[in-house]
Amino acid sequence: MTTAIRPQPTLVASWFHALADETRINIVEMLSHKERCVCELEQVLDIAQSRLSFHIKVLKDAGLIADRKEGRWVFYGLQRETLDQIAAYTKSVKPGKHAGSCAVACCD
Amino acid sequence: MRRSLLLRFTYRWPRERPGLPHLPHALDLQLARVAQWFHATSDTTRLAILEFLSQRDRAAGELIQLLGVPPSRVSFHLTVLTESGLIRRYRDGRRRLYSLRGETLDLMLTFMRTVLPGAHVGTCPLSCCQAGLPYQ
Repeated sequence: MTTAIRPQPTLVASWFHALADETRINIVEMLSHKERCVCELEQVLDIAQSRLSFHIKVLKDAGLIADRKEGRWVFYGLQRETLDQIAAYTKSVKPGKHAGSCAVACCD
Repeated sequence: MRRSLLLRFTYRWPRERPGLPHLPHALDLQLARVAQWFHATSDTTRLAILEFLSQRDRAAGELIQLLGVPPSRVSFHLTVLTESGLIRRYRDGRRRLYSLRGETLDLMLTFMRTVLPGAHVGTCPLSCCQAGLPYQ
């Protein structure tokens, strides 16, 4: 990982914040199957729609999911690029993996 | 009561929540545990600590110096990270060092692989696959 593509710490924190809730993890797991609309998520998760909208907004703001309009329906799907970036970041903080491109310049 | 002892009882996270029942997971991961890892990594100071520790094991004093954050804050963040299982503390002579736990980071990566679009693991914890939902 080079300095150029290293994501901002606040962005990284927002990704992980989005995944720091059981309901949101459930939503992400359901969406990993295929795109789903709010009604399906509401039915399976058994929570109020207002709460579901809130959780969806957090996931959307973090860039983990995106919506697609189809007629009167809105379908939500996962954003592959963000998930790949999260995995890449997690890999980069393995013990001993520390590259020379430390964001906080602890290396020099 | 000592402050460290108080912290240990106050910040036990996540608390038991009656709403969500424990669902068996295909990876044998408890979702509360997964949420706890991501909660621990959802703060910029804690991310900086993880990055410093990925270079080599460090003592709390070093981290305080490197981060420029009050010792009490660093101590709090280290407690959150330790409780989530992302780091561990061990004794090296007279020093107490913190190190990353590679196995937890590996589990996080495994989880991230199962939630890629189309990578849905066979036994959905919510049985969204067999629920006979519309638009299936």
